[in-house]
Amino acid sequence: MIVESKSSPDAARLVTPTMLVLWLVLATVPLWITRIGLYPYLGIEILIWSLYALAFNLVLGTAGLPSFGHGAYFGIGAYAFGLCQLEIVANLWICLMAAAAGAGLAGVLVALFISHRRGIYYAFMTIAFGQIFWTLAIKSHRITGGEDGLLKIKRLPADFGLVSFDLTDNVAFYYFVLAVFAVGTAALWRLVNSPYGRVVAAIRQSEVRASHLGYNVWLYKVAVFALSAAVSGFAGGLFAMAQLAAFPDVMSLHQSGYVVMMTLVGGGLVSFWGPVIGVFLFLTARDVIGALTNAWMLYFGLLFIAIVLFRPEGIAGAISAAVQQHSLGALRQRGTSAMRLLFGSGR
Amino acid sequence: MFDLLPHLLNGLTLGLLFALIALGFMLIVGLMEQINLAHGSLFALGAYVAMQLTGPRPPLPAELAKAWLALPLGWRYAATLVIAPVIVSLVGMLIELCMRRTYGKDPLYGLLLTFGAAMVIEEMIRLVWGTRDYVLQVPSAINGGFLFGDLIWSTYRFYAAGISAGVIGLVWLLIEKTSFGATVKAGAHDSEIVRALGINLSRLRLLVFVFGTMLAAIAGIIVAPIWGIRPHMGVDAVIPAFLVIVLGGVGSFWGAVVAGLLAGLCVGLAGAYASEWSLLSMYILLVAVVTFRARGLWGKKSVLEA
Repeated sequence: MIVESKSSPDAARLVTPTMLVLWLVLATVPLWITRIGLYPYLGIEILIWSLYALAFNLVLGTAGLPSFGHGAYFGIGAYAFGLCQLEIVANLWICLMAAAAGAGLAGVLVALFISHRRGIYYAFMTIAFGQIFWTLAIKSHRITGGEDGLLKIKRLPADFGLVSFDLTDNVAFYYFVLAVFAVGTAALWRLVNSPYGRVVAAIRQSEVRASHLGYNVWLYKVAVFALSAAVSGFAGGLFAMAQLAAFPDVMSLHQSGYVVMMTLVGGGLVSFWGPVIGVFLFLTARDVIGALTNAWMLYFGLLFIAIVLFRPEGIAGAISAAVQQHSLGALRQRGTSAMRLLFGSGR
Repeated sequence: MFDLLPHLLNGLTLGLLFALIALGFMLIVGLMEQINLAHGSLFALGAYVAMQLTGPRPPLPAELAKAWLALPLGWRYAATLVIAPVIVSLVGMLIELCMRRTYGKDPLYGLLLTFGAAMVIEEMIRLVWGTRDYVLQVPSAINGGFLFGDLIWSTYRFYAAGISAGVIGLVWLLIEKTSFGATVKAGAHDSEIVRALGINLSRLRLLVFVFGTMLAAIAGIIVAPIWGIRPHMGVDAVIPAFLVIVLGGVGSFWGAVVAGLLAGLCVGLAGAYASEWSLLSMYILLVAVVTFRARGLWGKKSVLEA
């Protein structure tokens, strides 16, 4: 990501060509997804998890902070959305803000404790806090519904004053999530390429160097974690709408591990869009391989091991390496033919 | 005070079990500076393999199975306590061989690799044994309960606590009092010198990993009759294991033992007042300790922080 942002003129743009193409392709999904044997709900899931994985990658890829309890913030967002709708006010915008605010608040609280830590200790502390939130969600029956989850969440209409859209249909909801996704990706792209994002990336390379340069490393680490938690919570709020319920399951250690896997398999460490590739692969693999065998996690686990061993930079990394090699090869070929022309080699 | 006694004893037993579960995890962290997230799955695998071996249908040829089943349960159980960890250690060996590629890189890679391994093992368990719960048969000598004052106490818990203490002691002897332990520690401290002395370091690491795996499996077999055998038991084990390591401090043997006891006591005593929330108390203890002592109770600076 750092390499990309330095060399590419896209870094300064609000909307890049890649982004536009991606949004346009995604906009056509409801037109053909049922024809290839899948269903619009999968599209919704992919978009929501992509937003979540991009938010997560803010911490893992951009800041280099191993957070292994991130499911907690996604789940808190889902619960906050549900509770706001059921207990306070049934307004879509307010409920989504509540989701982001609730998760962001939890993120700040956790970040205050852990931001002096590094490496494995940081990872362990995020797991511990993730487990605390997960236990709270499971045990607070009266508030969260315990293991049964928080039911009766509705897809509230998107009210824009003059017009109001009904989102109960999966296709309508898909387009709503896509619009949110578009805004979210543009905002995250700007954030990563802003001066703030550069400092965070510098901290990833060396905390010591960044602090010697006069940056308050601790504060930057708190802020990036809280931001990531807030966006994850926002995605969680959307997920509660998609599922029409909020369950403690997404907060478990396993599910927190899945978002790490998606991000790494896709190539979150080297590419902004890596996490999206990973989510797409993970969720379609779940449905396609899952329909063939009931042990799809086994195959995905093996694939994950292979990627960690042989391509730790993930699919996006492999693609960019292939592209680079290809263009280098083409260059070399052009070079040799030029040499041949000049020196008439071989004769 | 007397009302608290059962909770205190419960907590101590649980603490010893926590320490036993964490022991193999700690060895690999302390001596190889690798986080083995598959520890919990190997723990579960140990329990499943032991259940299969002591159960009514051991996976053996017909004649052998007959001879095996003719043995009294006590003998079978004792033999399984050795055989099952050896079988599970083969899986550990496989993981270590894969893991070699990650040595010298960011410890994150080893952690992710073992997360993948944990997933694969867990799915394998689900494929072979399904999602239902199993019970591990134990000999009648350590089954049942006895009266302790006016309390009924489970014999098995005493046995489990005793075995845990014994295994912890043995591991301490091995690490601190034998030349094997000395070499392994030296290898962790300065791999260059150890290699220069003509010691096969990669074999040494394989041995440490296999040993850690066997400890995981033994812990699984000991804990199984208390927690029950189900696919989720691996996750239930790996969380206290990492908690004990962080609380005690990475790389400290006695830190892990004391942290295990502390966490167990904490859960046990919290169980007296708010049984619903007893597990939460463990995490709160961890957060409280680590807020004031960043590296846990007896932690040393390690490469894992970089």
